[in-house]
Amino acid sequence: MDKNFAARRRRDLIIAAVLAGLAALAPLFIKDVYVQNILILTLMYAALSQSWNILSGYCGQISLGHALYFGIGAYTTELLFTKFGVLPWFGMLGGGVIAALIAMGLGYPFFRLRGHYFVIATIVIAEIGLLLFQNWEWAGAAMGITIPIRGDSWLKFQFLRTKLPYFYFALALCCLAWFVTWWLEDSKWGFWWRAVKDNPEAAESLGVVVFNSKMGAAAVSAFLVAIGGAFYAQFLAYIDPESVMGFQFSLLMALPAVLGGIGTLWGPVLGAAILIPMTELTRSYIGGSGRGVDLIVYGALIVAISLALPRGLVSLFSRAKPKGATR
Amino acid sequence: MTALLETRGVWQRFGGLVANSDVSISVGRGEIVGLIGPNGAGKSTLFNLIAGVLPPTQGSIWFDGEDVTHMPAAERCQRGVGRTFQVVKSFETMTVVDNVIVGARVRNTVMREARRKAHEVLEFTGLAGRADVLASDLVPAEKRRLEVARAPATEPKLLLLDEVLTGLTPTEAQTGVALVRKVRDAGITVLMVEHVMEIVMPLVDRAIVLDLGKVLVEGKPADVVRDPKVISAYLGDRHAVGA
Repeated sequence: MDKNFAARRRRDLIIAAVLAGLAALAPLFIKDVYVQNILILTLMYAALSQSWNILSGYCGQISLGHALYFGIGAYTTELLFTKFGVLPWFGMLGGGVIAALIAMGLGYPFFRLRGHYFVIATIVIAEIGLLLFQNWEWAGAAMGITIPIRGDSWLKFQFLRTKLPYFYFALALCCLAWFVTWWLEDSKWGFWWRAVKDNPEAAESLGVVVFNSKMGAAAVSAFLVAIGGAFYAQFLAYIDPESVMGFQFSLLMALPAVLGGIGTLWGPVLGAAILIPMTELTRSYIGGSGRGVDLIVYGALIVAISLALPRGLVSLFSRAKPKGATR
Repeated sequence: MTALLETRGVWQRFGGLVANSDVSISVGRGEIVGLIGPNGAGKSTLFNLIAGVLPPTQGSIWFDGEDVTHMPAAERCQRGVGRTFQVVKSFETMTVVDNVIVGARVRNTVMREARRKAHEVLEFTGLAGRADVLASDLVPAEKRRLEVARAPATEPKLLLLDEVLTGLTPTEAQTGVALVRKVRDAGITVLMVEHVMEIVMPLVDRAIVLDLGKVLVEGKPADVVRDPKVISAYLGDRHAVGA
């Protein structure tokens, strides 16, 4: 019993290590820049969705405003870099810390809201953030910020001639987000979060401090998403409010997890591996017509998967025993 | 030795409705105390005040020599108050053992220890065979048992049981009674709310009868069931005459 559990945890870790190893070798065979680009975005969204999953999947506080933290990561990094010459690495960490603090500051009033009301609040707050940045002259307002080109360097995390460094960073971030989830899953926090999601009142009676659980989940989730935002800004070398804080990012963080299996360890990675290439491919192969066929196909696929597998794609690999089974 | 739990002149008003008026009860260490009374007597309200779901309008609650009147539920659990819910509140997306681990973690900060403790509790409550099943896949009687397994996993000094024996078949109820005795023998004080007198009376050391928000009678179960005031509260005045 106990051994089963430990063995399962170890197996997850081994599978992850093997997958990460294979992914690290991928650029040896994939030289096409367009495909590399898709791989980078897939890894980035897998990482983002994994981070979103901590607050919304494990702790059950559905957020559709994580674009805010993504944007804060991007803006903190680029404002510090362009205005004060601070290296992006520090900006990235700073952005993460600021996003975590803002998440907790917002959590203080909004974690009192339940269900749909909480979701609405997250959407509204992210929209307010977007409007603020669109009108903030010092931060470039709607024009955004162009990141000055200083030549390829790891120090400035800037590469023009190759996409490989971005690929490896995205892979590392994805591994980090996965590992943090794996590690937290069998910790006090992991159990607190799932208990809070399922039944806050019962959780409270078993010594779970519900409010603190939500705050912890929000902070970890926002921190990791902001790191992703900082990465994306460096990757694009240009940011404006809409391209790092638009509502679509909130959706693109939520969808892979929901499709893959919300509140599961592997759901976000699996969901992103299918969803993101699908998004890019439908857009480039059937999106040019201007009639929105790509969006129709894309939407239909999402509806089909969620109807067929309401618990997400991971339920295909589910080790949960059938009803009534005993040990 | 002082009582483990004491309520001192506790009042609870919901708008114009007085659910508890001037309730003072005490529960000694190692006792099994039954809190009984007809529907609407204020049992559940008092129970929730003791568990820390809400603070009383007036009066104070003392646990283990400490004023806990305004202490939140989670903190009371850490001090040693465990509770079950009348309507079962399982963590549906978690397995049975994970449900219990949430409780076991209160006294076992190392996860491996908490997991071992949880398996122990499942063994104790006869749910060991269902450890890896999702709580949502349990049948109602098993869910009730899980509810009763989860609270002792927090290793409380006082266990509050809210109608855990109500609505069970006679055989299931007997298993439940045996389980409550086992819990007490493990050194845990028990305060149980029950609606049905026949089940609790043989089990408890002392019974407290609430009616219309007040303590009506308190004493040994055998005396309480013969008390005319109790009979009248349950059955109406006519039946109390000549009792």
